[in-house]
Amino acid sequence: MSQPTTDSATEETAESDDRLIETEVSVSETVTQPAGASTIIDVGDLSVYYHDDQALRSVSMEIPERQVTALIGPSGCGKSTFLRCLNRMNDLIDAARVDGTVELLGQNVYDDDVDPVALRRRIGMVFQEPNPFPKSIYDNVAYGLRVQGKADDIDLDAEVERALRSAALWDEVKDQLDKSGLELSGGQQQRLCIARAIAPDPEVILMDEPASALDPVATSKIEDLIDDLAEEYTVIIVTHNMQQAARISDKTAVFLTGGELVEFDDTQTIFENPADPRVEDYITGKFG
Amino acid sequence: MPRTSYQDELATLRGEVGAMADLTLDRYWEAVEVLESGDPQQAQRIIDGDTELNDWYLDIERECIDLIALQQPLASDLRFVASSFKIVTDLERIGDLACNLAEYGRELGGTTDVDVEPIARLAGEMVEAAMAAYTTADADTARSVVVRDEQLDGQCKRASETIVRQLVTDGVGAEPIDQRLQRVSRLLVTIRDIERVGDHAVNIAARTQYMIENDDDLIY
Repeated sequence: MSQPTTDSATEETAESDDRLIETEVSVSETVTQPAGASTIIDVGDLSVYYHDDQALRSVSMEIPERQVTALIGPSGCGKSTFLRCLNRMNDLIDAARVDGTVELLGQNVYDDDVDPVALRRRIGMVFQEPNPFPKSIYDNVAYGLRVQGKADDIDLDAEVERALRSAALWDEVKDQLDKSGLELSGGQQQRLCIARAIAPDPEVILMDEPASALDPVATSKIEDLIDDLAEEYTVIIVTHNMQQAARISDKTAVFLTGGELVEFDDTQTIFENPADPRVEDYITGKFG
Repeated sequence: MPRTSYQDELATLRGEVGAMADLTLDRYWEAVEVLESGDPQQAQRIIDGDTELNDWYLDIERECIDLIALQQPLASDLRFVASSFKIVTDLERIGDLACNLAEYGRELGGTTDVDVEPIARLAGEMVEAAMAAYTTADADTARSVVVRDEQLDGQCKRASETIVRQLVTDGVGAEPIDQRLQRVSRLLVTIRDIERVGDHAVNIAARTQYMIENDDDLIY
């Protein structure tokens, strides 16, 4: 998998303190599981601890294939921790301990014989801050394919173009592929990172607040892009912006403080008539 | 509680809709009095006062749009704002119908051919019940309005039949035929408009039920 894994691990480790909780309770949650598309990731009884602090509490969730699933909740609720568990990014945090299962198409990604690097090719990730490598646009996108050793076996130019087209960036950069990725605007940089994430053709793309550092125009392009990506990929996105979750996702999972998954249902249901009064209070701003 | 100003705006909206309903009902009950009395001055006051209701309706509609645009209400808050937005339209229409009834009452010089007052009272009580359901978030009361609408429709139908039967069986009598037909016509549209007031009460009840229970059965 490409380098952002390492870049972001440092950043995510620094943020992890915010997600620690003070009390430890072992709870097996019953969570609604929306019907619909087939399940690509089946999370079972997943708990995460940072040292002795529990950051995620017995979360079970079936994530539908080729849909957008949004994870929302207040700061420290465990949604980013949950996201990182899906492609074992938490392995990079020494203090983190994970219990439970995360099955990708039937295989537990935490089995001993699963190579985390290979896993991250199947479950790519895009982070909050655009983090292109200090390389050309072309090399940013080609990086993952070269690391995989595929560059000699495939038409690399064609694959780079495919990824850039899928990330809705091709038309803007096709005549300047040698230009440094760092010279692009913030929104373009983020789409370059998305192109880099999809170049190895993953099955799932994780996004951790991918538009929070962007202006409204760049944000709308990312949102349109996410909608397009869901035709081919499963997208799981953490966002603090509830309107964004409402706009772009098919399913929404609501985490509340303490690492508890409180409700998981169709996005329309969550935002129009949530079943759990705590979700109602959170999305209407009464939670606090 | 977070978002205090937002919560204040929601409370203000609820109060505004309730106050507009009070004024609308005042106008309606005055119109019912005109149906009895035929008092032209009272009728004119009702008609002149309709501008106030129209302006209020537009102000509340603007408040709803502002809330949606600026505060992005969700879940029960969204249903409350959306329902309020629709309910003020029904209140404005009830105000218009009150003007119509006042005008008919003035033209008729009081209705003596058929006693419309009990029918008009039932329609007004339906509006009161629907608004009580809205302000107190009482879904059972909202549902009761629908049951009463069936009674109202039946009473309106019988009253209309009585008027037509009188015309057929009694003829125009000594009254000039144009005058008699005008009178019958006015009585029939009076009953029709009272029935429409009941329909608007049902609309308010339907939006209220949606607001409280996310149940749109009465709307569609």
